[in-house]
Amino acid sequence: MDFQVVILAGGFSSNLVPLVSKEVPKALLPVANRPVLSYVLDLLESNNLKDLIVVVEGEDAALKVGGWISSACVDRLHVEVAAVAENVGTAGALRAIAHHLTAKDILIVSGDIVSDIPPGAVAATHRRHDAAVTVMLCAQPVSGPSESGGSGGKDKTKKPACDDIIGLDSLKQFLLYIAKGAEIKKDTRVKKSILCAAGKMEIRSDLMDSHIYAFKRSVLQEVLDQKPAFRSLKEDVLPYLVRTQLRSEIFSDQNNVEENGNGNGKNNMQNNEVVLSQILSNASLPSFHQVYESGLDSRKTHKCCVYIADESKYFVRLNSIQAFMDVNRDVIGDANHLSGYSFSAHHNIVHPSAELGSKTTVGPHCMLGEGSQVGDKCSVKRSVIGRHCRIGSNVKIVNSVVMDHATIGDGCSIQGSVICSNAQLQERVTLRDCQVEAGYVVCAGSEHKGETFARK
Amino acid sequence: MSVACGNQVGLQYLSGDISGGNARCIAMLQAFQEVVKDYSTPPEKTLNRDMAAEISSCVSFLRECRPLSVSMRNAIRFVKNRIAKLSITLSESEAKASLKSDIERFINEKIIGADMVIVKHAVTKIRDGDVLLTYGSPTAVEMVLLHAHELGKKFRVLVVDSRPKLQGQLLLRRLIKRGINCAYTHINAISYIMHQVTKVFLGASSVFSNGTVYSRVGTACVAMVATAFRVPVLVCCEAYKFHERVLLDYSICSSNELGDPNAISKVHGREDINYFDGLTNNANLKFLNLMYDATPSDYISMIITDYGMVPPTSVPVIVREYQKEHLL
Repeated sequence: MDFQVVILAGGFSSNLVPLVSKEVPKALLPVANRPVLSYVLDLLESNNLKDLIVVVEGEDAALKVGGWISSACVDRLHVEVAAVAENVGTAGALRAIAHHLTAKDILIVSGDIVSDIPPGAVAATHRRHDAAVTVMLCAQPVSGPSESGGSGGKDKTKKPACDDIIGLDSLKQFLLYIAKGAEIKKDTRVKKSILCAAGKMEIRSDLMDSHIYAFKRSVLQEVLDQKPAFRSLKEDVLPYLVRTQLRSEIFSDQNNVEENGNGNGKNNMQNNEVVLSQILSNASLPSFHQVYESGLDSRKTHKCCVYIADESKYFVRLNSIQAFMDVNRDVIGDANHLSGYSFSAHHNIVHPSAELGSKTTVGPHCMLGEGSQVGDKCSVKRSVIGRHCRIGSNVKIVNSVVMDHATIGDGCSIQGSVICSNAQLQERVTLRDCQVEAGYVVCAGSEHKGETFARK
Repeated sequence: MSVACGNQVGLQYLSGDISGGNARCIAMLQAFQEVVKDYSTPPEKTLNRDMAAEISSCVSFLRECRPLSVSMRNAIRFVKNRIAKLSITLSESEAKASLKSDIERFINEKIIGADMVIVKHAVTKIRDGDVLLTYGSPTAVEMVLLHAHELGKKFRVLVVDSRPKLQGQLLLRRLIKRGINCAYTHINAISYIMHQVTKVFLGASSVFSNGTVYSRVGTACVAMVATAFRVPVLVCCEAYKFHERVLLDYSICSSNELGDPNAISKVHGREDINYFDGLTNNANLKFLNLMYDATPSDYISMIITDYGMVPPTSVPVIVREYQKEHLL
């Protein structure tokens, strides 16, 4: 399939401070001891999409990401890493790499997704309808740990990650309306022409825009050129395309039948292709776009399609600390087919070179990385421990993430927290729902709840 | 041995949503091209046998969704023939490229090219002042009408349609968009309007060796009424749809395809029309939603194919020729 994939791996996300920093760009944040970008790459590879461009904001971040990619998967995938200036937004990032885009359709994937929904299906739906843009929608995830002990956040109610209001046609194939829930305070406006043409519109708030889009390249480039003020794909470009789908100002090249061929041979080929596509398009029932088009003479329309992912599939976007905790828990717990590791009899993953002290228990749904050392009488429950960590004795780690090379002194108790790489916790530190930045040292004997430790 | 995910979607699409022999065949061949492109020979297996097996598994998947049309069956035979003919000395990528170009050639010559030739022949039969009748939505006839209109011929078209598919409405839309003067009616009025008509153009799903035309249900009625009124009936059909079988049994049991019975017992969008409520489970009642019917060769004046304009009795000759070309 003639698709090029662009992975927007971002650079620096303020939501995830202090987990991300200059040294650790968001794309390389470890989930179950693998960078989150690796999940996206694996998913694309399994769907036979091998022509990838990874876009990273900031030169240093790009270098790091490029370095990791070339060490991890250079032989199986063809990946180009492109660096763009910071803070230009997703649309700006695409403008910057516009000259790299050559395929007929572009699949845009956010680099912080952990999922098993096949992007190939989105691509197929896009081709089938010959759409200008296809959006993948999935069910809203509920966040919050399943155990009530040490639940994260101030309020214990489960809140959905982000509200999107989506309007679909009756066959659930086309996107008639899209808005972010946060923008809608009291009321909203729906285009009457679209509603009349489609007949029925179903408005749903249980579906979420998954940030996986398929665009027709010509459409995308035209929109980006015509509207230089657009910064974000999700907030500007997509609603614009949905709003204007029946009075399209975008000239899709499908309608351009008169081609100046070089000589008869090429003309013949063009004619054949035109006839072919006409036969195929005439064979299926016309969508409401075509019906609308045939009514008025000079209106062009373009289609915005959706692909609704199966509810049984797993999907999480890493855009908040809560999401980070959730995805770590899920990848070892419910969604463990994503992690690619094999589980031991106790339902946990303990690397053979990890050393456990005496009387130390490692509960189910845990992960212990390579070369880590855990002292005596420790208890690890539902947590991820990275590589080469040094954990002292009498330590309790529950529902937490400890990244590579961290040091945890004796007698610590860590609940619902994230300890970044190279951080150091001295003795008898008690942390609940905290985040410790990389390289930070937490002094002995301190007790903290819900705090963020970052170096100034 | 796996059909890629995108292919799965594609195959489902063409089994459910597309109608029309040409479109289904083209979509299937394009899906085969994708299969060939993504294919890689597993170790210890020969390309010929394994790829043929792969194509067979695709075909059985298609067959489960909907019975194959004759055009599709002939195309599959062609593809399997080409796979079997692949020389063992070719490398895998060469074999794949050769197969892909063979499929491409089939589409371009036997389907698209054939349609162009048919159009060229058929427009010579259309004169100014003609009133042409067509039934359903045949691709070849549509191309003929559009081309004749481009050439500046002045004629009227009468589109005859029938429930439950109402395919004539799609054709009507497309003709009107080009500015052709059209009228639209349902098949129950055919005996009334036939006296205005000068020629009848019909499409076909397949033509059998005894000249019987197998096409959308209702075509036989149109052809019979036209013959009764002494109106010439011209059938436009590409040669790849010809079949060497002889269809004797016109009954529904053996070879016809049955559609969804609810389509004829209910009206879509009108739940108040429910005369069959309570009867649908009756053991004495059977709903027959036939998809195809057979028109005997006596009702057909001429068949326009890419091998020329022939009477229905010449079909076995073309089948013999065509078969020979197959094996070359």
